[in-house]
Amino acid sequence: MIVAPGPGFALAREEDERAAPRTRIAVRGLTKRFNASGREFVAVDDVSFEVKQGEFVALLGPSGCGKSTILNMVAGLLPRSGGHILIDEETVETGKVNPRVGYVFQRDTLFPWRTVEQNIGYGLEIARLSKTERAERVASAVEKAGLSGFAQSFPRMLSGGMRQRVALMRTLILEPEILLMDEPFGALDTHTKLEMHKTLLEIWERERQTVLFVTHDLGEALTLASRIILLSARPGRLKEDFDVAIPRPRDPVGVRETAEFGRLYSHIWHSLGEELRRTKAD
Amino acid sequence: MSNSRTAVLFWQLAILVLVLVVWQWGFEWSRALLPKAYVPKILDPYFVAKPSLIWQSFLRLGCFADSAGFAACISGNDNNLWVATLVTLKNTWWGFLFGSASGIAVGLLLGRSDFLARVFGPYVVALNSIPRIALVPLVILIFGLGDLSKIATAWLVVFFVVFFNTFEGTRAVDRDQIAAARLLGASEFTVLRTVVVPSALAWVFASLLPAVSFALIGVIVGEFIGAERGLGKLIIEAEARANASEMMVAIFVMMFVGILLAIAVRSLQSYLLRWQPQFEASA
Ligand SMILES: Nc1ncnc2c1ncn2[C@@H]1O[C@H](COP(=O)(O)OP(=O)(O)O)[C@@H](O)[C@H]1O
Ligand SMILES: [Mg+2]
Repeated sequence: MIVAPGPGFALAREEDERAAPRTRIAVRGLTKRFNASGREFVAVDDVSFEVKQGEFVALLGPSGCGKSTILNMVAGLLPRSGGHILIDEETVETGKVNPRVGYVFQRDTLFPWRTVEQNIGYGLEIARLSKTERAERVASAVEKAGLSGFAQSFPRMLSGGMRQRVALMRTLILEPEILLMDEPFGALDTHTKLEMHKTLLEIWERERQTVLFVTHDLGEALTLASRIILLSARPGRLKEDFDVAIPRPRDPVGVRETAEFGRLYSHIWHSLGEELRRTKAD
Repeated sequence: MSNSRTAVLFWQLAILVLVLVVWQWGFEWSRALLPKAYVPKILDPYFVAKPSLIWQSFLRLGCFADSAGFAACISGNDNNLWVATLVTLKNTWWGFLFGSASGIAVGLLLGRSDFLARVFGPYVVALNSIPRIALVPLVILIFGLGDLSKIATAWLVVFFVVFFNTFEGTRAVDRDQIAAARLLGASEFTVLRTVVVPSALAWVFASLLPAVSFALIGVIVGEFIGAERGLGKLIIEAEARANASEMMVAIFVMMFVGILLAIAVRSLQSYLLRWQPQFEASA
């Protein structure tokens, strides 16, 4: 018997997801070894975790612990030395791009020869969207990012914060369901960073992408994430996993005044501190 | 600001006038005033002509002072100044165009393929070690006295300069930018078109300005060694008659041709690289 997927069907699915959100990213026993001047060393050691539909997970750890390495393997940019990565139950192949996955870099990777508008529209141009539809969607993205008036500017005319907004929009305009972010606000000053947090929170609380967000900044992780995965110092191992039960919608300044923020901050800080000392002892 | 600009212009004009005056009358004056041993030979009009003579030669070669009239003079001499200029300009342009197009194409190819770069690397280095001018007689033997051999010579000179810069530029492309493009859905070819080429363009253009002068040099040398027409040919003929002022006419025309070509490349550059700070104002 064939049943048309009517409203009842959609409802059933929604309930289904509420009951047990499906796993979007599954990392199992992930290991990465590098060859540094002939000597092999382990950068990532047997890391396993899962990210469920609609979760905002922060991958937190001291610098050099292998966060970017993990994220790049999840994105399929880097081959893994061992273990498995599944996105939507499919093994990630190195070099193969998954259109459901968006990636935001730590470094500025805007195309300096393209205007803000052309940078944001890059992915749509490649997807061969019609000019009018492209212009429409780009205009709304420019607006959403608070970049009105800068659409025709080249990246070098913008501040670091504005450039990162463009980078964010360049990825978000393709409506990825899964968002991988590698310390996207790492190079920004505190004030700009808070503004970016506000923008990202607004977008995420509306669209609820599945996010894996790499950072070494505990405050940033607590502000944004619903869960924090803490990594140990090199070689990166899984240390602890925290739920961040700060209610939403969140305000990047307001969250810092909640009791939960303070409690988690001192607790994780203690744990992170141990790792920082270990890094220094190396 | 405007004050210093006027000053600069003033000194530029002053120097021009001084050079012209010394060139025109310096030899006469020094002969009248100085003992014979101290008269500078470099000012002798026999060797360097002088502005008034050059102007007369220009009028004659340019068919402005012919008793038969301009049209008759033009059609009566198939290497008159205008034909010669046109021929040299045309050959320089095509040599430059083919040379840079092929240099860019091969540079991109080897720049994007480690395998090809390793296979062809030593050959490129070896070929580049040959002084290009040494090949000109061979080129003329192969392609004859006509335009083709001049275009081929210019091509030879231009190709390597542009190739090396394109290659380096392709190598210097930001890997993360390539990764970003791929993550946004770009295929290998799209990455080449939308990231590698624009990003290497600054390097390419850095070579195009010298390349256009090299192309002109290549064509002139080709014309010296064997040609039917062109400014180089004009110089060789004037030399045979020990006519310095005619040589000077050809040299000045070459200067203008060179400036013209450089301006063309420059304006293309400032349009295509308008995203770079140094070209901001000119776009
Ligand atoms: N391509 C590479 N070759 C060799 N070592 C690398 C490479 N990439 C990263 N590493 C090393 O692996 C470790 C983890 O790097 P990374 O993932 O960038 O750390 P994080 O992002 O947590 O700061 C560092 O010690 C780094 O030096
Ligand atoms: Mg990193």
